Amino acid sequence: MDPRDQTEHLPGGVADQETPRGAHSDPAFAHASEAEFGRILDFYQVAWEYEPQVFPILWDLEGNLLESFAPDFYLPDLELFIELTTLQQRLVRKKNRKVRRLRELYPGLRIKLFYARDFRALMLKYGRAALVSELSGTLGQVTPRQDEDGSTEPEDRLDALDRAAADGGDTDRAEPDSTAGPHPHYERRSRGARRRAVRRAAAAAAQTPDT
Amino acid sequence: MRVSQDLVSDVAEVLLTEEQIEVKVAELGRQISADYAGRELTLVSVLKGSLPFMADLMRRISLPLRIDLMEVSSYGGTSTESSGLVRILKDLSAPIDGRDVLIVEDIIDTGLTLNYLIRYLKGKNPQSIKVCSLLNKPARRLVEIQLDYVGFEIPDAFVVGYGLDFGEVYRNLRFVGVLRPEAYES
Repeated sequence: MDPRDQTEHLPGGVADQETPRGAHSDPAFAHASEAEFGRILDFYQVAWEYEPQVFPILWDLEGNLLESFAPDFYLPDLELFIELTTLQQRLVRKKNRKVRRLRELYPGLRIKLFYARDFRALMLKYGRAALVSELSGTLGQVTPRQDEDGSTEPEDRLDALDRAAADGGDTDRAEPDSTAGPHPHYERRSRGARRRAVRRAAAAAAQTPDT
Repeated sequence: MRVSQDLVSDVAEVLLTEEQIEVKVAELGRQISADYAGRELTLVSVLKGSLPFMADLMRRISLPLRIDLMEVSSYGGTSTESSGLVRILKDLSAPIDGRDVLIVEDIIDTGLTLNYLIRYLKGKNPQSIKVCSLLNKPARRLVEIQLDYVGFEIPDAFVVGYGLDFGEVYRNLRFVGVLRPEAYES
């Protein structure tokens, strides 16, 4: 069975049966910017749901689910998912990757990433620029995410992959590269790590005085 | 908010000159005149930003037409109550049932206001509703709406002038320019 068949219906994945379509009575927002975004949608009378569906996006070789993704908002009248990314750059990268994966697996699904700069522009437009520093970034965190058993959300698989990439590990490949050449350390680094190493070397070279 | 006395000093870059706007508005007027020939056209301007565009566009349309004005409250504009809903601050002054309505907007970015307005006007049974916007900023779009007449697609920058404001200022600039970040970050 195609692991993607674990999703129950289009356009989404596993529907939260406890959240009726269009209902959003005081959801537990993870971030203050999400609450503000919900208020904006309410103001303009655009129906929305908060994290109504969870999409499986990563499996191991046995087909066991490793990673899921629940976009922040679904606008049913517009058939559009929206993911807000007002956090640190590291998390933005993670979300970018998740959205890219989501689009690959569910090509019919419409999702829009709303970056920090988009949110800032929105606040500026509505004369609430002063709120931006309060609502974005780490200061905007409301509560740590909690699972049903009350434990905080574990670092997800893609995040771990990102972190490992930053540490220089080989994270982009699903399987070990058996064709490693005579420079195994170099070969094991991700493309991003290699680019960073090249930039560091170039910067160091630029700072070396001519002799 | 600090505003320079000449306004122009607060503008980092002129995006559209007065001449460019004039040429484009004339072009839009000709196109609308051709498309609506023999029909009952009502231009509906959405206050306040579209006023200069409306004033110039209507004089470039060579058809008998009516004009009307609407104003819609903006999020955070008049009230910071979180439970607030968009309100019609100024409604149409004449019925539009059976008429062809052309909404005249200064800029479409998120599409939230326009989406609300179209739904509201559809309830008044017009023959048709189309949209004419001087500026289109697709990078910010949340609600996809068909724009029937567009003057310019602009980049993702905060623009002022020719009706567009920041804090109710800069509307009277004769061009469209990008506001210096210092002007809105102070």
